Amino acid sequence: MRIVVADDAVILREGLARLLGEAGFEVIGLAAHADELFALVERERPDVAIVDIRMPPTHTDEGLQAAKLIRARWPQVGILVLSQYVQARYAVELLAAGTERVGYMLKDRVSDLEELAASVRRIGEGASVLDPAVVAQLVGQRRKGDTPLEDLTERELEVLALMAEGRSNKAIGERLFITEHTVEKHVKNIFATLRLPPSEDDHRRVLAVVTFLNAT
Amino acid sequence: MRRDLFTELFALAAGVGAVLLVLGSDRERSPVAASAVLALVVGWAYIASGLIARRQRPENRLGTVMVFVGFAWFATFLADAGSSLVFTLGKALESVYLVGFVYLVLSFPTGRLRSRLDRGLIAAAVVLVIVVELAWLLFADSRSQICSECPHNAFEITRNDGLANGILQGQRSVGVVLSLFTVVLLLRRWRRASPPERRAGAPVLWAGSAMFAALAFSVGNDILGHPLGPGPAWTRELVFASIPIAVLAVLLQRRLARGAVAGLVVELGEGVTAVDLREALARALGDRSLELAYWVPARGSYVDAGGQPVELPQPESERKATVVERAGEPIAALIHDPALAENEELVQSVCAAAALTLENARLQAELRARLADLQASRARLVAATDAERRRIERDLHDGTQQRLVSIAMALGLAESKLASDRPAVQPVLREARDALAIALAELRELTQGIRPAILVERGLAAALDDLSRRAALPVRLHVALSGRLPEPVESAAYFVASEALANAAKHSHASEVRLAASHEGPLLVIEVADDGIGGAATGGGSGLRGLADRIEALGGRLTVSSPPGRGTTLRAEIPCA
Repeated sequence: MRIVVADDAVILREGLARLLGEAGFEVIGLAAHADELFALVERERPDVAIVDIRMPPTHTDEGLQAAKLIRARWPQVGILVLSQYVQARYAVELLAAGTERVGYMLKDRVSDLEELAASVRRIGEGASVLDPAVVAQLVGQRRKGDTPLEDLTERELEVLALMAEGRSNKAIGERLFITEHTVEKHVKNIFATLRLPPSEDDHRRVLAVVTFLNAT
Repeated sequence: MRRDLFTELFALAAGVGAVLLVLGSDRERSPVAASAVLALVVGWAYIASGLIARRQRPENRLGTVMVFVGFAWFATFLADAGSSLVFTLGKALESVYLVGFVYLVLSFPTGRLRSRLDRGLIAAAVVLVIVVELAWLLFADSRSQICSECPHNAFEITRNDGLANGILQGQRSVGVVLSLFTVVLLLRRWRRASPPERRAGAPVLWAGSAMFAALAFSVGNDILGHPLGPGPAWTRELVFASIPIAVLAVLLQRRLARGAVAGLVVELGEGVTAVDLREALARALGDRSLELAYWVPARGSYVDAGGQPVELPQPESERKATVVERAGEPIAALIHDPALAENEELVQSVCAAAALTLENARLQAELRARLADLQASRARLVAATDAERRRIERDLHDGTQQRLVSIAMALGLAESKLASDRPAVQPVLREARDALAIALAELRELTQGIRPAILVERGLAAALDDLSRRAALPVRLHVALSGRLPEPVESAAYFVASEALANAAKHSHASEVRLAASHEGPLLVIEVADDGIGGAATGGGSGLRGLADRIEALGGRLTVSSPPGRGTTLRAEIPCA
């Protein structure tokens, strides 16, 4: 799988490249800012671009804007946005631009090489991946009065959270020590409670969940 | 005074001389007695008014000008003399008084000419009544040009009736034009005058205009060959005689203005506020546009009643400033219409009457200025704190956090390489990685607390939304905000909400918090209300005090209501302008 990495900090850029190389990815280019990234993507058409959210010149959300632009211009290129902080709002913005081949994760996750490699691979294969922290913000929020999430059972919330992370019913069942069949029943209940039509694709389920959460 | 006495005696003599010349003249003047009286009244009116004006306002040239006009007027009667030389001298000086008169009306009330146009007009008048007059005399035969019984023209070098007639007609025509031009200048001046200027200048301006209009009319008739006769000429001279009376009227009006000072003293005695003080002074001075500026010694500059800085007008400016002093120190400055500068006595007496009240008002204004300074310095402190927060957050993000992440990466790499070969290493590496993950999470909490990225990037509404999602207590959020607000306002509002939510979670035993943000007119209002036990201490708690400081530094207000058993409501009002 061919990867490009964009981060203004050399130490992280190089580190990530080494790490991904170690995990069997082909890192074909490094960029220090958004313009360099665009040129690289245009030239190389990588499978996945890994982008730091905070880059020059304003060091705010350039990475997010760059990701949205890449989504619009090169839809076949997967995007993984990394950030020191995760904002549910940014995840929603990112997914609103398209739900295939997209991920949003805390930078901290790079310490677990296996997790990181799995996420990058999933994105390259077309799925969407959200950091558990984002999902926790969306699903576990304690806001009152404006969300029908209150009507879900504890178990259903757990399933929804794992769904939002981009996991399959089988993976959810393994995590929660229940059968895939039981997971399916929970998912149907969740969709019914949230009044969402059921869907087969993992990333569509994420979209459904996230857009719904955003709409509330 | 000596000079005045001499002038008075000389005026007496000149007047008597003029009367004698009129009475002794063998030329037609009818009625003779009336002419004599007119001669006397006009001349003495000018000289007397001039002397009074000179005594009242020695620095003003007008007095001298009027004395000059008076004597120049008497000089015209030399033309009634029997002696050829005296007669010719009288003829030559016949219209000189008009030059003084033009100067008088144009320079009233300052005694100074205002524009190049004024000076040009005076120069033209001088040429016309002296140079052209003398040129005419060189060729004018006395009997054919002036009057049949007149003595010989002593200046005549050669008789040339055609040339003399031409010069005379030309002089009269230009005279008419200059007279009309003067009327236009005066009317234009009237139109542009400020109310105090109008009050001061009205009688002289109108009488002057009438005089020159009449002059233009009668000379015009002379040119056309049908002189108006003695009647209209008399009317004109009566108008002329009224001018010094008009000047006296203005002087008198200024005396009356002193009555206003007495009124002011009474008014001030009753105690006036800063606004009333300006009104009272404006009334006493007859200048509605009056502004007051108070001296702040610590700043070495002036401020208005609200403590805001005020610049005094420059010397060449449209406005004038009069500084009021007490014991050699400035207290205040009156910024007024320049016309008032011509009535310095009135301004001075008003200043003297109001000095004590002005001193009180000055102390109040100084206090307000200091409050404004204090407010500004608080705002600067908050701004400096915010800048410092920005710097720390940036340093942590660009330095420490990046380095920790890179260590995490290295550990991850080491783990993946070593784990399979040396199983014993794995738990150690995992432990290190877990510790690092905790360190990163804590650092993230810390930097978010210092300066939340979402607030900077997406504004207050988004940041409050984020805050409510992450809160330890369930939050009902009601945000009705439009667009971005100034950074210090957003920052202060965010920290109020954040601190209030944290307090509620820690102390209130509440089950739910309501967080609302909305605009109320020019204010941003943040309200955080819980349903907990209440009884929050509003005084000492450094958290609340710190918040109040932040809000107040922006000119806002923080109120806390926390009756025992009825929850705690915290309300911050922050001006957004």
